[in-house]
Amino acid sequence: MKKKLLAATLAAAMTASLTACGGSDSAQEKGDGVSITIFNSKIEVQAQFEEMAKEYSEATGVNVEVYYSNDTVAAHLATRYSSNDPYTLSMVDAKDVYSLAEDHAIDLSGEKWVENTNYALSVGGKVVGFPVCVEARGLIYNGDAIEKITGEAFNPEDYATLDAFQGLLEKLAAGGMETPTGIMKEDWSLAGHFLSEVYEMQDDVDGFITSLHEGTADLANNAKWNGKMDYFDTMMKYNYAASSAIAAEREVSEQKLAEGEIAFMFGGNWDWSMINAYEYSENMGIMPVPENTSDGSNKKLVGGGSKYFFIDSSENTSEEQRQAAKDFLNWLVFDEAGNAFLTEKCALVPAYKNIAAAGLDPLSVSVKSYADAGNLIDNYNYLPDDHFSLCGAAFQKYLAGQMDRAGLAKEVEAYWASTAPVER
Amino acid sequence: MNANEQAARNKKINHAIKITLLIVLFVCFIFPFVLVVINVFKSKADITSNPLALVGAHGFTLGNFPEAMKKMNFGRSFINSAFITICSTALTILFSSMTAFVIVRNNWKACGALLGMMIASMVIPFQVLMIPMVSLYGGILGVLNHRATLIFMHVGFSLSMATFMFHGAIKTNVPVALEEAATIDGCTRWQTYWMIVFPLLKSTIATVAIIDAMGFWNDYLLPSLVLAKKELYTIPIATQVFYGTYSTDIGLVMAALLLAMLPILILYLLLQRYIVDGVTSGAVK
Amino acid sequence: MKTNTMSYKCKQFLMFAGVTTAVFVAVVIVPFIYGIYLTLTSWDGVSKEKPFVGLANYVATFADGAYWQAMGRTFLYSVIAVVLVNVVAFVLAFLVTSGVKGQNFFRAGFFTPNLIGGIVLGYIWKFVFNRAFVALGTSLSIGPLSSSWLATTGGAMLCLIIVSVWQYAGYMMLIYVAGFMSVSEDVLEAARIDGCTNTQSIVYVSVPLMMSSFVQCLFLTVTRCFMVYDVNLSLTNGEPFNSSVMAAMHVYNQAFTYKNFGVGQAEALILFVVCAVVGVLQVYVGKKGEVSA
Repeated sequence: MKKKLLAATLAAAMTASLTACGGSDSAQEKGDGVSITIFNSKIEVQAQFEEMAKEYSEATGVNVEVYYSNDTVAAHLATRYSSNDPYTLSMVDAKDVYSLAEDHAIDLSGEKWVENTNYALSVGGKVVGFPVCVEARGLIYNGDAIEKITGEAFNPEDYATLDAFQGLLEKLAAGGMETPTGIMKEDWSLAGHFLSEVYEMQDDVDGFITSLHEGTADLANNAKWNGKMDYFDTMMKYNYAASSAIAAEREVSEQKLAEGEIAFMFGGNWDWSMINAYEYSENMGIMPVPENTSDGSNKKLVGGGSKYFFIDSSENTSEEQRQAAKDFLNWLVFDEAGNAFLTEKCALVPAYKNIAAAGLDPLSVSVKSYADAGNLIDNYNYLPDDHFSLCGAAFQKYLAGQMDRAGLAKEVEAYWASTAPVER
Repeated sequence: MNANEQAARNKKINHAIKITLLIVLFVCFIFPFVLVVINVFKSKADITSNPLALVGAHGFTLGNFPEAMKKMNFGRSFINSAFITICSTALTILFSSMTAFVIVRNNWKACGALLGMMIASMVIPFQVLMIPMVSLYGGILGVLNHRATLIFMHVGFSLSMATFMFHGAIKTNVPVALEEAATIDGCTRWQTYWMIVFPLLKSTIATVAIIDAMGFWNDYLLPSLVLAKKELYTIPIATQVFYGTYSTDIGLVMAALLLAMLPILILYLLLQRYIVDGVTSGAVK
Repeated sequence: MKTNTMSYKCKQFLMFAGVTTAVFVAVVIVPFIYGIYLTLTSWDGVSKEKPFVGLANYVATFADGAYWQAMGRTFLYSVIAVVLVNVVAFVLAFLVTSGVKGQNFFRAGFFTPNLIGGIVLGYIWKFVFNRAFVALGTSLSIGPLSSSWLATTGGAMLCLIIVSVWQYAGYMMLIYVAGFMSVSEDVLEAARIDGCTNTQSIVYVSVPLMMSSFVQCLFLTVTRCFMVYDVNLSLTNGEPFNSSVMAAMHVYNQAFTYKNFGVGQAEALILFVVCAVVGVLQVYVGKKGEVSA
């Protein structure tokens, strides 16, 4: 009998919990303002976003909740769509906008901010993606560490050619910094960020990609490929982790770079969010990847708009919510508090002409100066989804010394030849 | 006399070997925890630069704990986790032990079919069910974002394994003769189950309780699909901001790990006694 | 009371197993069937249309070399890990039931790894292999420790196996402990009187009587190893050069990272069939050898 009682109590507890949950739900929706949800995929600004949401709610009466997930963005959003519970605003990468926009995003062509940016994303002739910031890739340097050894001011412009760069590395090595470089072994860095520069720096990017698909491209005799790989070999030669290059942990490399144990590592301005966890040098920045070329590409970084907001188009999002989401985007671009949030709190390089950026971190200052001078080579946003993983694996073998340059070229060519072109 | 002495000496040596082996294995098992405890009191820079130092260059710090607690909203996550774990575990034990009983004691087709399906279901990779499940429960029924839904699903997923364990226990540890005696005394099957069988299952209940509670407490994927609202977050979902593809804040991971581990460790230590008690006192020889 | 009528059987079954059946069907079976349907579509996971393509995804699965490589790798890993986990667990169970002092303390210690979730556990071990071991190796100049094991193909596999043993041995130990304790003292006493040595009484008396423990442990380890995902993700993430991608991880990547949801789902289904066949076969063989107390 006692056990029956227990069972009954449990059942009662279940029911109670059900009603309790129901209660909390209605309580949440009772405020008179609209509620919108934001999906943030930039982990380093999650805390800032949450703080901003609170302030924004207080100031406008619109209830904002910010979410983050460390699942793959596509996987996470897939579950949200399957459960008919999409975010009002989702921040995703360009490639995700291309795959999601047709079914899930509303047309933002009529918005005021479209005039103020060069980086808005359009699909099918309609603007759908709101660029959150400008990011660029290049060679991160620690000027203080270099100057300490060379004794003279470090001017990144002086090292645009690989020859000059090699000369500097020799000098550093002779001066006591025996291994002045670091290499990120992650596949998204090797293939997604570095290898893609080979495509992005071609004269006719689309034509080059098509020739890769058709199997007619010849990497081994391609000037850009060889230029980039010559640079990479130099980096490998001076890599602090040369003996176990593919075990180098990003955290460790970033710390060494920040604290001046090494002087150079390929990366982007997002790396600041890791560097600033350590005792970093102030005199840091990003410079173009050195290359012996006269085409001017060694004076430019690669980058552009990064991370895009789109607004959900399904019936699960009401007109009021959509309007509130549009208002929020306008707030980011046209309100002083919104500007301050983007540039001062999140330290993002603004993608809008009207936003002046003060107080940026050293890497973002570099990126902004290149962007303002028109010295950014565009990102190629149509890489197939498995490119970073499969080409990254091959590149890791090269980094580990288990494959030579010709072998890597063949692997990359074979990858492209066996992959269907991305629909656009 | 001599033979006895020899036996006693052998026993002593035997004992010494066992103890040594135990201690060596114990050190291996506990080594990562030692590292966690050493490093959780260091700043991020110190962890990265020297993971083995007892005290980092910047000295001893408690900073990782309050930061982790704040970022994961510890109080709220803890209550959510505890509520969900307790309810799910209790319901799983209740229903699975009953089911195991009817399956073991009856040779019916339905029983065989159910057990067969359950065993087979244990090897379904969760990825197969993930999207269909959210499509059905979210898209069609619209019941996601309730703690009760998560409890329901936890129970559904863990029933198979728990039933399987009770199945083994009832089969080997509960003598049919006892039940027959109860039936002769006029007990219905229901009464027999609750008064005779269930109390004999103490050790298995404790085992299932600790194993399921652990699973529920630490589960990440299922709760992350069911609970998409911040105020419902459990501890594992709340800690996801500490690690990811691009960076891992190992200090916060370690702090969160210790915070999350304590309650379940206490539960284990409490139940451990019952596991022993259950076996030694419950058995009828 | 008649106990062989249909209505009695139904009533009994519903009374004891009704709720279980309902919940089980609702949570596992129905989504599973819907999942099978999805393997017949070329859905990408996010678009609104789910075009029906028949068996095309299964054809693609058989043509997916990386998938079968991952399967082979998973098989190898599982065989080694299952054997090691069970050997270690059995030894642990024997040691902590042999009456040494502080055996409860030891039991708790061996069980503690289970108190951590798989993902966090992987990150902790990654820290151990990549940082702690390397720091230890360089400062004491122990050659094999001075560079990370995770950086080599074989080493990454070894690390996965070590972590699996560490993670599951304590859990399986519990089941073996319950098995050891269910062997009654009388039987062991009888064996001793008949002249059995300690080892003999374990091999000929305890082990046969613990058959159900073995069946349980083997089944659990086999299925867990086959479906390993969490630790794979956080410990190696498939690296180096995708050489440690296990079947479940390949399935996840195929479905979500590469956005071939239908193919991923079909591959997962085949993984399920393989696991089911291995698991059921193993239980069937085990049950034959069972001795009831």
